[in-house]
Amino acid sequence: MSRSGTHDPADPRRSGADDVDTDFDFDYDEFGDVATELALALPPVDPSPDLKTRLMAQVAATPQVAPLPTTALRTAPADPGPFPMTDARPASPAEERARARWFTRTSATLVAAAAAVALFFGGVVTANVLSPADDSAQQLAAIVAAPDVQTVVAPVTEGGSATLVSSESLGLSAMVFDGLPELSADQAYALWYITDGEPTPAGLFTVEANGEVVQVLDGDFQAGTIVGVTVEPSSGSPAPTTSPIVAIPTEA
Amino acid sequence: MLVLVSTQSASERDPLADLDVTNTLLQRVATGDQRAFSDLYDLTASRMLGLVRHVLKDHSQSEEVVQEVMLEIWQTASRFDPNKGKAVTWMLTMAHRRAIDRVRSAQSSRDRDTKVGIRDLDREFDSVSESVEIRVEHDRVEKALSRLTDLQRQAVELAYYGGYSHSEVAEMLSVPIGTVKTRLRDGMIRLREEMGVAS
Repeated sequence: MSRSGTHDPADPRRSGADDVDTDFDFDYDEFGDVATELALALPPVDPSPDLKTRLMAQVAATPQVAPLPTTALRTAPADPGPFPMTDARPASPAEERARARWFTRTSATLVAAAAAVALFFGGVVTANVLSPADDSAQQLAAIVAAPDVQTVVAPVTEGGSATLVSSESLGLSAMVFDGLPELSADQAYALWYITDGEPTPAGLFTVEANGEVVQVLDGDFQAGTIVGVTVEPSSGSPAPTTSPIVAIPTEA
Repeated sequence: MLVLVSTQSASERDPLADLDVTNTLLQRVATGDQRAFSDLYDLTASRMLGLVRHVLKDHSQSEEVVQEVMLEIWQTASRFDPNKGKAVTWMLTMAHRRAIDRVRSAQSSRDRDTKVGIRDLDREFDSVSESVEIRVEHDRVEKALSRLTDLQRQAVELAYYGGYSHSEVAEMLSVPIGTVKTRLRDGMIRLREEMGVAS
């Protein structure tokens, strides 16, 4: 026998839309711990397998909310440090000067990168960057799913951030950029693997106006190498000719 | 009268409630670790669905709620503060709130038009007033519940397991709302003491 049919809309005691938001008042702050014990005492119910499938697909395409102290974390290491923005392009011999910078960069970058590791990764990889048909996206997904994946986030001196994901077992790494500035038509961003101070070209790329790029590096990734980015002529260079805008070390 | 059915002889605390494994996983999830999220899901999904379905009854809607909550956990993992409690508490609180939101929106739409909801408040009330059977799987929780007065246990059952608001419970039991709050609060404090929950 139901009383719901007799509810008078004017009856202040009736349950309904009016008190939906204001009336539920279980005190989670005070009794959340006890409530957890009560919840865990209920019989578990196994979800259908496709629930997880659907969920993991959503997760792969859903950016995460940045941690609350993001601003401090992102701005602190953004100081270009040993690479002042006013630094003129090296005249000659460009290769040696650039190489020297990689060395001096390393220790500072390690500190900056360690601080940046705590930063989110998912927030950078937005759904519009990762279209399923995109080879880069598929390779990135493979790297992220690798058991030995490393993820490092670092600021880019020219603006934005770079996230390096790498897997030695796959021999692959990818850089995910967010907020990277556009270049003039005769320029390109160049990726480098730097091992024992020796830079090896790992590909050229340009960026669209949205500043978002997923770029899988050419060549074989080895743990312990440094991944760097410089601005080069659009035809590329055999070695870096400008200061790196970001350099990210990896753990051996 | 509350009938407690124990289906598990182990008197030990649920490992999910004690181990910090969910905390560790959730903090890895906050760094964008999808594998950690997969592990966290495997560890907690059946418990979350157990809770949500207990409140909502309908299985497919309960799965929808679990999916929503799990996605929200992925998105907001960085907001979890381990200093304020356990990850499993954070997650199950979110699930409990969402399940109740779902019941309430169904109730209000029922009240507005079709009068058909997920859960019939009055039928629930009739069964509660006679006996409610909760399969409590943990001896420790069962024992703790048995130490409450009947009135305290009823308040805890309706407010937490049932997800009813204080004013709904007051209406169902025909007592003032202040009495409901007192019974519930005393009951929860007593449960904490009996279960030895670290607060």
